[in-house]
Amino acid sequence: MNHRMTQSGIPLEPFYTAAHVVGEAVDTGEVPGEYPFTRGRLASPRRREAWIHQELSGEGTARRSNEQFRQLIARGARGIDVIGDAPTMSALDPDHPLARHAVGNTGVSLCRLQDFEELYADLPLDELTVSHSLPPGAYAIAALHRVAAQRGFAPSALRGSTILLPAYCEDCSYQIHMPYELRMRLALDSIEFAAREMPRFHAFLEDTYYISDGGLDAVEEMALGFVEIREIVRRLVARGVDIDSFAPRIAILVNCRMDFFEEIAKIRATRRIFARMMREEFGARDPRSWSCAITAHTSGLSLTLAQPVNNVARCALQGLALALAGVQAVEISCFDEAYRTPSHDAHMVSLRTQQIVQLEAGADRVADPLGGSYYVESLTDEMESRILAMVEKIESMGDLGELCDGGWFRELFQNAMTRRARAIEDKSEIQVGVNAFQLADEEDTLLRAASESKLEPCRERIDEIRLFKDRRDRGRVGEHFARLREAAAAPANLLPAIGDALEAELTQGEISGALRLGVGAPYDPLGMMEPPL
Amino acid sequence: MSERPLRILLSILGLDQHEAGAFAVARLLRDAGMEVIYLGRFGTPERIVDAALEEGVDVIGLSCHSWEYLYYLDELFELLAARGLDLPVVVGGSVLSGDDKREIEAKGVAATFGPGAGAEEIVARIRDLTATRGAA
Repeated sequence: MNHRMTQSGIPLEPFYTAAHVVGEAVDTGEVPGEYPFTRGRLASPRRREAWIHQELSGEGTARRSNEQFRQLIARGARGIDVIGDAPTMSALDPDHPLARHAVGNTGVSLCRLQDFEELYADLPLDELTVSHSLPPGAYAIAALHRVAAQRGFAPSALRGSTILLPAYCEDCSYQIHMPYELRMRLALDSIEFAAREMPRFHAFLEDTYYISDGGLDAVEEMALGFVEIREIVRRLVARGVDIDSFAPRIAILVNCRMDFFEEIAKIRATRRIFARMMREEFGARDPRSWSCAITAHTSGLSLTLAQPVNNVARCALQGLALALAGVQAVEISCFDEAYRTPSHDAHMVSLRTQQIVQLEAGADRVADPLGGSYYVESLTDEMESRILAMVEKIESMGDLGELCDGGWFRELFQNAMTRRARAIEDKSEIQVGVNAFQLADEEDTLLRAASESKLEPCRERIDEIRLFKDRRDRGRVGEHFARLREAAAAPANLLPAIGDALEAELTQGEISGALRLGVGAPYDPLGMMEPPL
Repeated sequence: MSERPLRILLSILGLDQHEAGAFAVARLLRDAGMEVIYLGRFGTPERIVDAALEEGVDVIGLSCHSWEYLYYLDELFELLAARGLDLPVVVGGSVLSGDDKREIEAKGVAATFGPGAGAEEIVARIRDLTATRGAA
């Protein structure tokens, strides 16, 4: 790390005094739990229960993943976060020709309602926070809603979140091959549906983690996040949805890299920007609409294949930064992150790290323990102004959909990736074990075997899904397929039709294909499969 | 020896969606004066071999952030042999461990680049590979 500037390029003084702090948090005596919430969402330690400890999980079939969840809960996890395998994350079914080597080995394979039933089996859905890293979000919401109803849980008791990713997913990691307007429509419909049906559920989860973990800096991460939040809010308001009906359940899923103080300042600045934006610009009246929940994943990109034991130290520091910043949920990436989705052993280390940060180090005993630090306050102010300047710049360039389709963000992501690769190569960014203090391959043995075990693809799942598709009621499938196609071209909320289709045994891949056809896009974006008729 | 710049095909196999490494490598190869035919994500052995023939490339480069490449490599080598194409295949990626490198080099991969491989190393290895072949 460059000693004279932060990772995002903010120049640093040798030390900080009151003269460097221009923002209100210090001058006005802002306290935690009050507008503009720089210092945290809640003030009282009694109400401010510790963050939700969760770990990204899911591998193989839904049944196997359910086992994994139950083990994590038995060891103290207080929420689960489901990650899909590559086909699931691409909205393709396991029997897609391009899925053949990718089923279940980087996450759980999900495509039918039955899979979600097995995924959530025996979990206390009215007590547990169930987060879903499953774009485009609408399928997980529809499925969770149906499964909860089957099992007698009131939808209003469901807690958790889904990622939506309408703006940037096609250009960064999670391409689902849907046109911008369809992606945005699914996001808006999901939020509106959940606000009505599942009011405690965070359907509006702005995921800035995945866009930033390709190499964007902390300013770019939050600027893109706010651009997307603002567009979604404007669109919902334009639909006539009351802002106070959904804004209290907006959450932001941020990244946490290794620049300790900058990441803390970023989270503090994010809360302040959000509060001002919601109250002053969008006119939200409910104070709960002004304070967003922050959830965080520690950066996978900061973890290394070389000397995997170093990742344990990195994760502990990132966990501490998040505790000091004051967040509502944390997921600590695992020491094997550079190689695979977490193993059982790696999960345990990350979960125990969270527990040690909270219960032994006592990092959350008071709210905003760094509040009033000249350095942290100055950095918070600087992050705020830089994020806002970039939001203004992007919005001045025109319509978000056109910018997305025109490749502006794609280029930003590409440049960030290249910039980061160069920073590692020219050592302006240090990664211990990678470009400093390296060990020869034969000496680098600590935790290596545990970090580099592989998961085989779940090939039997491909046959299972083929058989499942053959045995369905074809008439019923065809009817729902046609209905979805029509729904995609009509204005009504898509979530009920998606839920009905899942119940009629359509799969995510088929639902995605029907929606694509409804808006004039090809059924299979990769041109390898035919519609199920 | 011709003055034509080296032509490298770059692709990512299967449903591996992570493109970061491939972008960075594409740029560094172009900066070194090579021509990059960027096939991008969702590559299959068939698409790669078709493009390699059509574009007359000197090297096939694969970027990987999942393990799908392990299974596709056999298909790729079979297809190259069936079409009579004798091209060096190089693999780079964030998930290449020491064991993985040894395994795929034994299968016939000409060079491997793990995370942390530098630009100079990558460019030099590719030049070496093509020079040796040119001389042979």
